[in-house]
Amino acid sequence: MAYRIQRIPSAPPSVALAARGLAIVLALVTAGIVLAALGFNPLALGWQVLRTTFGSSYGLEDVGLLVIPLIFTGLAVAVGQKIGAQNIGAEGQFYAGAFAATGVALFVPGPMAVILPLMFVAGAIGGAIWILIPTLARAYADVNELITTLLLNFVATLLVYWVATGPWLDPSGRALATTARLPHEVPEFWGIVHWGLPVAVVVVLLVGALFAFTRWGYEVRIAGSNPQAARYAGMPFRRHLIMVMLLSGAIAGLAGMFEVAGTVHRLQGGISNNFGYLGIMVAVLARASPIGVLPAAALMAIILNSGIVLQTQGITVSTVLAITGLILFYTAIGDELARYRIVRA
Amino acid sequence: MDIIAGIIQTSILAGGVLALAALGEVLAERVGVVNLGVEGLMALGAVTGIATVITTPSPMLGFALALVVGFFFGMVFAATTVYLRANQVLCGLALTLMGTGMAATIGRAYSGTPAPATFPPIAIPYLSDIPLLGRALFTQNILVYLIYIILPIALHWLMFRTRHGLDMRAVGENPAAADAAGIPVQAMRFWYVSAGAALAAGAGAYLTLAFVPSWSEGVVAGRGWIAVALVIFAGYRPINAVAAALLFGLITSLGFVGQARNWPIPSPVLSMLPYLGTIAMIIVPVLAWQRMRRLMAAPAALGEPYYRDVR
Repeated sequence: MAYRIQRIPSAPPSVALAARGLAIVLALVTAGIVLAALGFNPLALGWQVLRTTFGSSYGLEDVGLLVIPLIFTGLAVAVGQKIGAQNIGAEGQFYAGAFAATGVALFVPGPMAVILPLMFVAGAIGGAIWILIPTLARAYADVNELITTLLLNFVATLLVYWVATGPWLDPSGRALATTARLPHEVPEFWGIVHWGLPVAVVVVLLVGALFAFTRWGYEVRIAGSNPQAARYAGMPFRRHLIMVMLLSGAIAGLAGMFEVAGTVHRLQGGISNNFGYLGIMVAVLARASPIGVLPAAALMAIILNSGIVLQTQGITVSTVLAITGLILFYTAIGDELARYRIVRA
Repeated sequence: MDIIAGIIQTSILAGGVLALAALGEVLAERVGVVNLGVEGLMALGAVTGIATVITTPSPMLGFALALVVGFFFGMVFAATTVYLRANQVLCGLALTLMGTGMAATIGRAYSGTPAPATFPPIAIPYLSDIPLLGRALFTQNILVYLIYIILPIALHWLMFRTRHGLDMRAVGENPAAADAAGIPVQAMRFWYVSAGAALAAGAGAYLTLAFVPSWSEGVVAGRGWIAVALVIFAGYRPINAVAAALLFGLITSLGFVGQARNWPIPSPVLSMLPYLGTIAMIIVPVLAWQRMRRLMAAPAALGEPYYRDVR
């Protein structure tokens, strides 16, 4: 009886999901081995993370707060992938959204019921503007959006750093390198977790429904999996591409808006905490499915929170970034290997 | 005149980082593999360089060890993308996250310490005595001569003047045809991607041993991504890549001059120049030179893994 290995065009969902789970476990095991080699006790660290995160409502609230920007940035990247656009500039769009929302909060007077929705809109528009040039360059000149969106991240980071230390510096002189505390903030509904969380879930459901149940969403999905077929069928590929990329940017902008208006309350350099880059991870783990973004973002939030819990042990946010990279690496390998099956020759 | 000589000297020094990383990426992309891990490799190289000179004050050893580290991570990346055929974009991003995170974790111990030994400038006899620009052009460290003269010419000769180079380009353009002609497609990809990664890490060591020269988190600051963009702008040609990197060095040094001479532009805004310049450089030529498109096109099989049984 002879067997041979056969490659199939796309992996069955259950196998793909199992491969993802295995990738995460392997990444954590690898990280544990490295930490053990550096003289840490990985099991004790793991236990500490679990106890701090799930042992108290404070831990869960921390995760609840971290998950909000991750849902938005993950959704933003996933939306782009629906049409085959790699938006790895969610970090920059995050900053642009936070910048625009802060501008509205600081300089437009009015009651909270008016200003908060205005900030929401401003955040979305800020993010969309930040992806406008990469979008047009991709749509009309076929310039790879991967590099243009990424390079704008550095520009946005510098822009926010500049306004927070220069023109918009807190005039009271009490705070260094941040703007004044915003006059309005997103109210909290559970401990320190603000209403950004339910809003994020609603946005996920809306976007999911948009792709699943509308003609537009259907056409975008076709265009994403086979642009030639979409053009041949008379679908306006370029228009869909522009709409999807702008939507992606707007969602990433909302992440920045809620972070500044709900969590940090001041605009400052480095406000993003790599949320934009981690959004790529979330989208990959979710296999670009909008609903899948929710569990993927929750997982990333727990991993990110572990980094914060372990800071006292000499493990930094950079270590967590490295572990995240490791998960992504194993996931990419698992995705490919999940496509093979052994058949009888 | 001194100002101009100073700008040119800084431009050459600043452009060297990008030139070396871009040359490495040219090697990988010419055989059909996009390596988006350059940023992470540079971070690893940078921290290797500084850690070495703080232990043993030999910049040459630091640079060599960075090449070794880069080659090792390049082999891991190449093994997964070439032999396991995992998605190149995802693996590249993963390498960037891993490299940046690992380098920052290791580098905390060295943060802020200036490199105790750096590559000293070497004045080339006679040439450096040329009035006006002689000093700026010919009093540079040894890596500059390697990066700007020896490497690009050697690579150009290898890629466009030898049989091996023709094979190499065939692997990037049409791996199935190359395979049929008996060229070892996967081995070619594996070794050139690894070698390219070594150069990227070398560029990181150049950063901490010759240019900055000290380690801080975020010292790479997107230069790896700029290098990836430069390769597109340079049409995947080594000599063009070095010329483009020099242009970029010029933009960077204008930012330095602006800060030093108190131009009425805030320094964070000046720091945006290289990124904005890169974006302009990859968009404008596509719009302006339609005729050049074919000549500067990417290798046809770029980013696609090769399956012998799926043709």
